[in-house]
Amino acid sequence: MDAIRLVNLTKKYGPVLAVENLSLAVPAGSMFGFLGPNGSGKSTTIGCMTGLLDPTAGEIELLGERFTAGHPGLKRRIGVMPENLGLFEPLYAHEFLAFIGRMFGLDEATARARVGELLEALELTDASKTLSEYSTGMRKRVAFAAAVIHSPEILFLDEPFESIDPAGVALMKQWLRRFTEQGRTVFITSHVLETVERLCTGAAIVTRPGKLVWQGDITTFPIHYDGKEFPALEPLFLHLTGERYADLKWL
Amino acid sequence: MNAPLILELLGLRYKLLWAKTRSRNGRIALFVTGYLLLVMLLAILGFGGFGAAVAAVRAGKALVIAQGVLTGLFFQAVLSTNILGFGMNNLFTESELRRYPLSAADRRLARHITALLDPFWFLFLALELGLALGMYGLGAAGFWSAVLAVLLLFGVNYLCARVVAAYIDRLMKRRGGPAILLSLVMLLSLLPGAVAPLLAKNRALGARVVEHLGFLPPFAAADAMLGSQGAAARGFLWLMAWAIVFAALLVRAERRPVERRVAASTRISWDSPFDRAGAFFGPALGPYVAHWLRFYARNPRTRTLMLLSLPLTAFLTYSTGHTLGPDGMFVAALGTASLATFFGTARIAVNQFGYSGGGFRRYLLLPGDPAGALRAASYASLTLGAAALPVLLLGWIALVPPFDPRRIVMLLASALTGLFLFNAAGVWVTLYNPRKGNYDSNFGNDLSLGGNLVVIGSVLCAMLLPRVLHHVAPAAVRPEAWWTLVPLPVLAAAVYRFSLAAAGKVFPARRERLLALVEGRD
Repeated sequence: MDAIRLVNLTKKYGPVLAVENLSLAVPAGSMFGFLGPNGSGKSTTIGCMTGLLDPTAGEIELLGERFTAGHPGLKRRIGVMPENLGLFEPLYAHEFLAFIGRMFGLDEATARARVGELLEALELTDASKTLSEYSTGMRKRVAFAAAVIHSPEILFLDEPFESIDPAGVALMKQWLRRFTEQGRTVFITSHVLETVERLCTGAAIVTRPGKLVWQGDITTFPIHYDGKEFPALEPLFLHLTGERYADLKWL
Repeated sequence: MNAPLILELLGLRYKLLWAKTRSRNGRIALFVTGYLLLVMLLAILGFGGFGAAVAAVRAGKALVIAQGVLTGLFFQAVLSTNILGFGMNNLFTESELRRYPLSAADRRLARHITALLDPFWFLFLALELGLALGMYGLGAAGFWSAVLAVLLLFGVNYLCARVVAAYIDRLMKRRGGPAILLSLVMLLSLLPGAVAPLLAKNRALGARVVEHLGFLPPFAAADAMLGSQGAAARGFLWLMAWAIVFAALLVRAERRPVERRVAASTRISWDSPFDRAGAFFGPALGPYVAHWLRFYARNPRTRTLMLLSLPLTAFLTYSTGHTLGPDGMFVAALGTASLATFFGTARIAVNQFGYSGGGFRRYLLLPGDPAGALRAASYASLTLGAAALPVLLLGWIALVPPFDPRRIVMLLASALTGLFLFNAAGVWVTLYNPRKGNYDSNFGNDLSLGGNLVVIGSVLCAMLLPRVLHHVAPAAVRPEAWWTLVPLPVLAAAVYRFSLAAAGKVFPARRERLLALVEGRD
């Protein structure tokens, strides 16, 4: 069964086309990498899939049900770590996480217990600082904790590993692997192709404007495409999105 | 000094201003601002400064009137910048300027020059120049001395406003700072009322006091502009001395790091009054309202304004009430009562999502009706506003005898009406005219045009409506007519409920636009 299915998803901002007829299927229980250069519509696609944005056209299906922004039942089953983290700066980490937990339907006792465990595991126990005073890496960990606190069935992570220290990344990867082992799905966007290669089972590459150019299995390499052989994700990505050269003599 | 780079930054300031006109809202704001500025400038030049100069010379009291006008303008500028926040927006922050090859002194200069080139300060300069040119035109002052005196005063005025702002900012970040500030504001508010009768009784004393005020910047500027050679030189020297003192104080304030309030405990505490208050709204909306109560209550400016709102109400009631006849206090209180309910939360209530930054995105990701965020925010504002009511009414009973239950009913009705109507308007401005703001700023007016209209309009309505009624239909504001006010809060509550329901329906369609606006992408 597909956990995520997009059919001809199109998103326009006024006259600007951000995503064009994107069709994609992500099997349940997989860790899926969604790759593309800057401005290729990755965050817009996640925005449409999580209810942040309304698609201009096309259909989104999550966990076998049609998804719209006004579908609270489905929203409760997904977790999102958005592009800009979506934190409430004046709150303390435990207040923020408890609020998110309560809004996603956890009772007060469960929410508090999970907040305590998450803060402990992610080393965020300093309760003297508000989120605005946290470092970028700590803020990212809080956003990650907010995405998983209600134990969702699909996890959407937009650039999850940037700015986090190696120990934090290792812990998050361990959690994500366990997450998919339980049959849940992870949808990741990242520019770190090595991480995607090591962590994900499948990937899709989009180019501007949100146009799918490749989707496939990345558990085995080399990948054969367009009559060529690619030993890793990076050469395939550069082949599909176009390598850039600029000879700046003064640099 | 890296003058070319500073000039580039000044150019960038206007490019950024111009860039705002690329959006529809920006063009409207530019048009309205330009129009208002033009009208005000004409009015000020025509009837303000120049008119004052003509009147002063004709009355043979050029020096006295120049002293009065310049003093009024000076303190008006300091108060408006610090209370209303006009003219205090730094376009470039220190950390932004550190990217460029500028020395610390250059960065300071660039920051303050870009802040000084604000239309608000232009207005004051225009008024003061009007006075100077008027004096020159009528032969009471030399051209260069008048213009130089005004320019120096203008610089001193800006520096003084900045120094006051910097020290208030520091005070606000200290434990107990808001309470100290409150006491200072009260003292300054009550001082003129206490001193004026004393001076009125003893005019000679007043004249002697004025004689000794020559060192103050506006008096020094008046001397520099109109005084004899010796007095003019003394005036210029005083102005330069003030400029040096204020500049030194400002540099000192900016160099010394602000003392941060540190949380007393590093242990997580789950016992929160916000959660307890939120629980009254039921399990579905409770956490949402508790969240918004935290958001309001942790805002330094909201806290200060909430603290100030009750004494301010008392002061305004007293200062306007005693001019309205025997029952004037009650008539004034009918208006000011509602002020106490919305003054503290006004800034966020008319721009609920403008201070959430990236957090706004989170509301849209939560399960449930996205408009829940709008409703919860409004309920939080309503709750905090309503919390002022018992104190207000008890204060009235304790301070203004005799006790009359009809008056209490009327005050309550008026306060509730104001509370509901203000928050109803706030919901619409939040949806249709939001603006990205800085949650932590203690100064600066970061509201949109709509926000300013609602806040300033509501304050004016609260101050003026009962007075108008008192003149037009005095019977309506007498205790005998207490029952006529009872339906008003019911009607206002209906308007509020309707606004909330209607805005909730519009919200999902507006959310992408709001997202772009509050995240600063439009």
